[in-house]
Amino acid sequence: MTTIVAPGRDVDFKPSIGAQTWEMSKRAIIALARQPALIIPSIVFPLFFLALGSSSFARAIDLPGFPAVNSYLDFGVAGAIMQGVLFGSITGATALATDIENGFFDRLIASPVARPSIIVGRLAGAMAFGATQTVFFLIVLLPFGLDVDGGLIGALMLTVSGTLIALCVGALMSMMALRTGSSEAVQGAFPLLFILLFFSSAFFPRQTMSGIYKDLAGYNPVSYIIEGMRDLVIEGVSAWAVVRAVVIPAALAVLTVLLAMRSLNNRIARG
Amino acid sequence: MSIDSTTRSTAAGSESKPRSVAFTALWPASVGLGVRNVRNIRRLPSAFLPSLLMPIIQAVAFSGTFYAVTQIPGFPTDRSINWFLPLGVMMGCGFAGIGVGLTTVRDIESGFYDRLRMTPMPRLALITGPTLGALARAMVVITAVFLVGLLIGARLTDGVIGLLTLYIAGLGVAALGTFWGLALAYRFRDMRGAAIMQLTFFLALFLTDAQTPLSVMEGWLHGVARVNPFTNILRLGRQGFLGDVTWADTWGGLVAIAAICAVTLWFAASSLNRLRD
Amino acid sequence: MLKGMPPSAPIVTDGLQRYFGSGDDLVKAVDGVDLEVKSGEVFGFLGPNGAGKSTTVRMLTTLLRPTGGSAAVAGYDIVDQPNQVRRNIGVALQDAAIDPLMTGAELLQLQAVLYGLPRSQHQAKASELLERVGLTAAADRRVGTYSGGMRRRLDLALSLIHEPSVLFLDEPTTGLDPLSRMNLWEEIRRLNNDGTTVLLTTQYLEEADQLAERIAIIDQGVIVREGEPEALKAGVGCPTLFVSVGPDEVDAATQVLGRFGDLRPSNEGTLGVGLLQGPGEVSNVVRRLDEAGVAVSNLELHEPSLDDVFAEATGYRLEGAEESPDGAATAPHEMSDE
Repeated sequence: MTTIVAPGRDVDFKPSIGAQTWEMSKRAIIALARQPALIIPSIVFPLFFLALGSSSFARAIDLPGFPAVNSYLDFGVAGAIMQGVLFGSITGATALATDIENGFFDRLIASPVARPSIIVGRLAGAMAFGATQTVFFLIVLLPFGLDVDGGLIGALMLTVSGTLIALCVGALMSMMALRTGSSEAVQGAFPLLFILLFFSSAFFPRQTMSGIYKDLAGYNPVSYIIEGMRDLVIEGVSAWAVVRAVVIPAALAVLTVLLAMRSLNNRIARG
Repeated sequence: MSIDSTTRSTAAGSESKPRSVAFTALWPASVGLGVRNVRNIRRLPSAFLPSLLMPIIQAVAFSGTFYAVTQIPGFPTDRSINWFLPLGVMMGCGFAGIGVGLTTVRDIESGFYDRLRMTPMPRLALITGPTLGALARAMVVITAVFLVGLLIGARLTDGVIGLLTLYIAGLGVAALGTFWGLALAYRFRDMRGAAIMQLTFFLALFLTDAQTPLSVMEGWLHGVARVNPFTNILRLGRQGFLGDVTWADTWGGLVAIAAICAVTLWFAASSLNRLRD
Repeated sequence: MLKGMPPSAPIVTDGLQRYFGSGDDLVKAVDGVDLEVKSGEVFGFLGPNGAGKSTTVRMLTTLLRPTGGSAAVAGYDIVDQPNQVRRNIGVALQDAAIDPLMTGAELLQLQAVLYGLPRSQHQAKASELLERVGLTAAADRRVGTYSGGMRRRLDLALSLIHEPSVLFLDEPTTGLDPLSRMNLWEEIRRLNNDGTTVLLTTQYLEEADQLAERIAIIDQGVIVREGEPEALKAGVGCPTLFVSVGPDEVDAATQVLGRFGDLRPSNEGTLGVGLLQGPGEVSNVVRRLDEAGVAVSNLELHEPSLDDVFAEATGYRLEGAEESPDGAATAPHEMSDE
């Protein structure tokens, strides 16, 4: 009988990457849900800004350069999603940096946990949060007159887009957390995200801008993703809209996740 | 805060030596504390730089991204930076004041504030001292935002007097931000207070004609912004960039600053008193 | 009662109370403390963490309002005349909380301003105090770079800038190395010789024994003993014998020891008994224990100390009162060698 027990235990302890990643994801998601003070700003602020804009810029949508839209709300919802996901990404990455600061990260490394699951878990948490934010924004704004021309499929595409952007930025911020190991440095990225968001077509069309600012917004990939999402809202589902809203963030996500993995390996190698 | 303390103190205790201590006046004590606040700018630039850079970034970003907003019929200027520069200034000045609240939360948590409270300075100096520091920081912020604004095309429309009203509005916002920040620091004594002071100030400043004039906006915000005293303060600070400086655009802002300062100062003073409870 | 007529003592409290919370959460941190610290003495205020020492000091230094009772410091009521109190007291705090971004010289300068010293005196006063606490070389360094001992010394200097007549020292040597502690004791004695009244809170019994002319022991918000250390020790009476036995033999040993006097609180694994007949009984105790089949692993006799006073007053021994962290059995005795 004893001879059976020993190999049986071996099997029990064989790390299953899937199960571990799931556990790590769960931990990341629960951690987010338990800290409402950290996630509420990234939900309230975009909605607040959008509410301000829908009043302040009600007459701006008639300006030359604006696409044909029913309301500033329809125009601005894409930017609000982007804003929420960008600023929400700081939370997860800060948690990762805190893990590194307080030594929990080292304990994970010392355990038989599969290395990638450490970061994949975090990113899965970020994606879940991004998807939740997007769906929440769409539902909350419906009674205020949000009209998604793309319909249910458009809304689904928007959610996929929000999820992928969350992955993309989450990986980028995780890379920063892994490189610096400092939660302060991660939070210090706020002005950078602010610039990334405002030097884009998140709030006004690029066509209405001028000079260097217009050029910068033109170089900013955030502009194209937002414009794709916006088209899903104001024009409906089209191949070109999906390419910008989904394919671009997916491609960027592949790149940033690879970079984040490399940072993870570098940190482990450094000890 | 009694005046006759020095004469009476020598009567206390049979061993009492003659005190070399004079009555601590409000002004020197305030300056002493203000100097500390300003000196820490240089000592801890990582805490000050963001509060200097963010209003600049905001002014530049808003005027760039909302560049076309001036084309809305009835918009009072054709330079978007003229519209958004004063908003950036108010933002920066408010946070210069709120920064004092953050420092005070840290001082309370570390215990340094106990040492300050044990000195015989007038209690009011605990408030006016850091306010002087915040005003000095605000001067730096206003000047920096204005100079960067000039570089990207801001123009004064009524000469130097318009700059003066911008400084007055900015310093007023810095003062009320300090009082508000201190009051919440005294009430909460931890970082919860810090989050609330930032959030409330942000809301107060943006529930105004921050982005477009009252005459241009539509819907719910109009009703809120019309009665929000911060709209008056913005008008005071903006007038030198939109046309002539007039008494009509000035007095409302001055009254708003005075009234909010009075209320927040009272709130701060009564909260300070409650630190002993 | 305290108001109106000039009290003769620098610190007088009358039924001083401080409660926190309310209802079921009501904590009586200080529950009716009566103290009188005489002019020119060093008064030791003893008690474990949470006994009410710091709360009492915070009230006396005007940081906290009492819930009930009254107190006067330097002749002034702590509630009605807080600024007069502040002008006459110096306080060195337990944590030596000092802005780490400022230099020692800047802090002294600020303190001088806040105490309203004439401008002409600032420089000389600051140099004198820095010299006195041995920080002249470090005057222009930021406090953040100071060691723990340097911070305490600076803290002391800060509390002396206005030549206070009453000095509060709240656990001034907690966490200091022995040498720094001795130096600080020296400084406190010097200040006292110059006529400064000192109220010293501490959880180190040795510190109180060394410095204080009179002590008060506070436990759970109430003063349980007050007087001169020698008198208090004499009050405990006979010497205490500490016997270390195995856990199985505690009952048997307790029975034997009970015949020689009253049992006294001691650390775990050790039994204490006050020998009614004096030190001569030790050999008898050993014989009786042997007869009862109790194996004694350690045996120590010591004359009454403040530790005994404390134990007798509170029913337990002060954690951290001793330097020796190892072996509870040997811990209680080191101090008796003084």
